[in-house]
Amino acid sequence: MNDLILFAMILVSLFTAARVVFGPSIWDRLLGYNLFSSKITMMIIIIALFSDKSYLLDVAFTYALLGFVGIIFVAGFIQKKGKI
Amino acid sequence: MLPGLFDILGNIFISAGLLFIVFGVIGIYRFKDFYARILISSKVDTIGFITIMFGVILKAGFSMFSLKVILILIISIIINPIVSNAVVRSAYYSDYRIERKNSG
Repeated sequence: MNDLILFAMILVSLFTAARVVFGPSIWDRLLGYNLFSSKITMMIIIIALFSDKSYLLDVAFTYALLGFVGIIFVAGFIQKKGKI
Repeated sequence: MLPGLFDILGNIFISAGLLFIVFGVIGIYRFKDFYARILISSKVDTIGFITIMFGVILKAGFSMFSLKVILILIISIIINPIVSNAVVRSAYYSDYRIERKNSG
């Protein structure tokens, strides 16, 4: 059950990464990156559940926050057309 | 209640969340323009996140583990809409418009 879920999640995040690569506009890439990082967070939590390591949850929490901060600044950077 | 019930319920919720996420990715590739794409996929992805975390909490039972998962769930519920809003706002303000052939 565990490997099935993780395999499906990896497959789905591959498609999201493909959207990052082929996205026609910059914002499609940002959308793909946002979904990709939330899928990574889910995978970390599922791995933490099945391998019963509770410290992995802190990794997922930090990753979600860092992804959030990163995307907010990249979106603002693109909106200002490069001027910080 | 038999102990295995929570396990089965957790598995059901996790696979339901997985189904939502697959719908979210289908939503990415189905819609042609950006605004419809992000409208659908960010919502469905957040719903998938909530369902999977609910399944994880059910499987983990009442412990420190599920308290941490609840914290991540709350933070992610707050974060995802903000991020989607930031992306769409930056797209809209740098006047990225979709040319509609039929309507005005």
